[in-house]
Amino acid sequence: MRKQRFTIWLTLAVCTVAIYAIFNYKLIFGVSHPDRNVTVILKSLNVRLDFWQAVNKGAEAAAKEMGVELNVVGPLQENDANDQMRILEEAIAAKPEAIVIAPIIDDRLPAILAKARAAGIQLVVIDTPLELNPAPVLVSNDHMEAGKLAGRTAVDETKGHPTVAIISDRADSKISAERLSGLRQVLEPFNNSIIGVYYAENSEDTAYEAAKQLLAEDKPFNTFITLNESATAGVAKLLHEQNKSGVLSLIGFDSSVDEIQWLEAGTLRAAIVQKPFNMGYLGVKAALKLIDGNRVDPITYIESNVITQENMYTPENQKLLFPFINNK
Amino acid sequence: MSRDRAIRFRIFPLKSIQSNISLAFSLLILAAIVLTSLVSYQVSVDAVERNSKGYIEEIIKQVNMNIQSYVDNMENISLLALTNKDVKYYISDNSFISSGDRRIYEKQISDLFQAILYTRNDIASIMVFGYNGRFVSDRRITNLNPNAKLQEQAWYKMAKSEGGKSVISAPHVQNIVQNEYRWVVSLSRELKSTDGITAEGVFLVDLNLSVINDICSNINLGKKGYLFIVDKNGNIVYHPQQQLIDSKLRSERIADVVQASSGSSFIAKDGEGKRIYSVQDTNFGWKIAGVAYTDDLIASKDELRNSILLYSLCGLTISLLISVWLSHRLSKPIKELQSDMKQVEKGNFDIQTEIGQMNEIGQLGRSFNLMVSRTKFLMEETIHNQENKRKSELLLLQSQINPHFLYNTLDSIVWMAEQKQHEEVVLMTSALAKLFRASITKDQELVPIRVEIEHITNYLLIQKMRYEEELDYYIDIDESILSYKTLKILLQPFVENAIYHGIRNMYGIEDGRITIRGRQSNDQIVFEVEDNGLGMTPEQLGKIRFNGEEDARNQGIGIRNVNERIKLYFGHEYGIHIRSEIEVGTCVTITIPKLE
Repeated sequence: MRKQRFTIWLTLAVCTVAIYAIFNYKLIFGVSHPDRNVTVILKSLNVRLDFWQAVNKGAEAAAKEMGVELNVVGPLQENDANDQMRILEEAIAAKPEAIVIAPIIDDRLPAILAKARAAGIQLVVIDTPLELNPAPVLVSNDHMEAGKLAGRTAVDETKGHPTVAIISDRADSKISAERLSGLRQVLEPFNNSIIGVYYAENSEDTAYEAAKQLLAEDKPFNTFITLNESATAGVAKLLHEQNKSGVLSLIGFDSSVDEIQWLEAGTLRAAIVQKPFNMGYLGVKAALKLIDGNRVDPITYIESNVITQENMYTPENQKLLFPFINNK
Repeated sequence: MSRDRAIRFRIFPLKSIQSNISLAFSLLILAAIVLTSLVSYQVSVDAVERNSKGYIEEIIKQVNMNIQSYVDNMENISLLALTNKDVKYYISDNSFISSGDRRIYEKQISDLFQAILYTRNDIASIMVFGYNGRFVSDRRITNLNPNAKLQEQAWYKMAKSEGGKSVISAPHVQNIVQNEYRWVVSLSRELKSTDGITAEGVFLVDLNLSVINDICSNINLGKKGYLFIVDKNGNIVYHPQQQLIDSKLRSERIADVVQASSGSSFIAKDGEGKRIYSVQDTNFGWKIAGVAYTDDLIASKDELRNSILLYSLCGLTISLLISVWLSHRLSKPIKELQSDMKQVEKGNFDIQTEIGQMNEIGQLGRSFNLMVSRTKFLMEETIHNQENKRKSELLLLQSQINPHFLYNTLDSIVWMAEQKQHEEVVLMTSALAKLFRASITKDQELVPIRVEIEHITNYLLIQKMRYEEELDYYIDIDESILSYKTLKILLQPFVENAIYHGIRNMYGIEDGRITIRGRQSNDQIVFEVEDNGLGMTPEQLGKIRFNGEEDARNQGIGIRNVNERIKLYFGHEYGIHIRSEIEVGTCVTITIPKLE
């Protein structure tokens, strides 16, 4: 009797193991993770916004490298907070393992993100820091460092005597504020280096007018530093019109086709350019680390490059200024 | 009982032969399967790696050929321009009479370029720049970028320095035309005048980089695999993650690729995983490298491993079942033998185990059967012997209280008392008493010879007194044997026989004589009871030897009985021997061992 029982148990055990192995070999040999998926929510998915398209590319590069299923979504308009929150809700409902979000700041957003966390979704915030408790992992451009870079470029351009007029968008813009504080850190040691900070919203014309007024006031300054794209364009237009390209240095942020042409023309002395591709790449990588339970730095900063007329066509800067090979 | 078994089961889970055989088989099979699985897995993985190396090489060759065909095409276009008379004339030093004439040439050249461009959508632009400041492109109106200096363009400088040979640039953003920023690969070439010596301008064909980009990015080298191109100086021409490499977020084995010869491959292994690099040279100085992750061939590697695992599991299951069945089959005869043995243990000696095949177990079964039957025989023999012993003892007892002898003796005593022969009465009575005391009181079978002699002396004394002159006796015993042991009442039956059959029937003969001798010979003791009575015919002698039982009725203990008694106690080599001759007498020789 005992022997027969032993035989039966043995057979049963072997069969169980075999069946288990057939149906669950993925569980046993957890080598491949075909189920790892990450959703990236951008500020905008508009194909004409190079910055976000480059972030998208970076995210895709990371996804391919790590073998992850990637889903990139975002509102069509860059500042459509409502649409982004709707998209975020949808993403949470789909229950990805991680969400990488470039948040459009809104008071309602933290509550939704807390919901995502409660659902066990890992959270990575890119581009714009966000108040959330506990603080999410952040992958962002180092705007303060970028501000410092701009400040140092101004010092170099003016051979150590910077007197700077700063045109920003809004006083409450977080990115601009950080850039400004970086600038101040570099420039304040110099005497009377900052003659004023002016705000021109996101309007090229307002910036143009503000700069025109500054020039008319005949204040003694030698450098414009414009903290966003529209201000750069407005000031560049003015300097070009008034033939002041050689007299006044213009240092701007970000890149666009216009800015590239101002750079080529020499009107724009330097542009501080971010690396959105890297942001997307590192954002997704951070998310994967969180999924795998690895240690992640709470903040990953991405450096910026100073692009000038001289170095704009070096291989790496070309890639930064023209991230897409298929453009017309 | 069951608890005891349960405990033993836990401590010795494999007590039975069957489980041991099963276990041994299973372990052997397991080891064999694991070994073959590992080996075949390794062999298959090697094969997969080798195959994928070849596959990657093939793909890269294909890419190389595609890119080559684009470059060849550019080359052909440049040759077309080179040999075109209009182009030659247009960029030559001769001055046009009017701008109108110039326009005609410009239009003709532009039309030619347009026609070429129309057939090829991989070409971005075609231009000719004369050193005389004239230039024509594929468009009617071309506005050059005022901020891009022609003389500083890399392709322009390179074409000039190469002097007539075509030059392929690295991918770059072509900014020579106003408001156009395209990623292209440029083929440029200096144009010579008809004399073939004077350089007169530079010809430019731009290939859309998207063409190469599409070729490269559409290549499937597994999930993570990719393809990249470097020029001979190690500058990246194309890399899907060029920005990451520029930002030092990622490294690439560019130096190794530059070193590698065309058609070769090498394996890199680092934190990113094991990958195969396969390198091909193009004939215009680029190196194309395909990178495949070995664990990416995992799609097949994993499947391979899983299918091998699956099959080995199935094989294992089947072979385990077979091993259980086999061990059951092997151990079945043993178990049967065991149960038969249990029967024997219980005392059933009638069992005969069934013998199947004549293998080791069959032989074991045969030996067992032999043993059982032999044991059975011995047991029966023992039982028989015991019976006989008891019977003979019973007869012995009967002989001692032989009533005839007692009556006769008592008659003699009465008769003697009537004769007032007091002394004889006392003598006979005391002898009778001694006789009975000697035989009844002691339980032991073996008594010293001295006691036996005393006994027979008493017996003969009584008989002598009864038969007076008719009987005479002599006892001649070697002094040295007196202390050895003998069976009780060994001699009395023979003396009795001698008196009743030998001497008493001898009418008229006065001197009937019985002689008892005892001596030792080697390690035996030999008694002889000899009479000079009637003797026996050989027929009578044979009767006594073989039908002792019949005699026993008349004579108390039969000769045969005594003989058997001796053999039972001392063994078959001992016993009695009768010699007899009619009218002469009978001599019985009794042989027993020397026993202290």
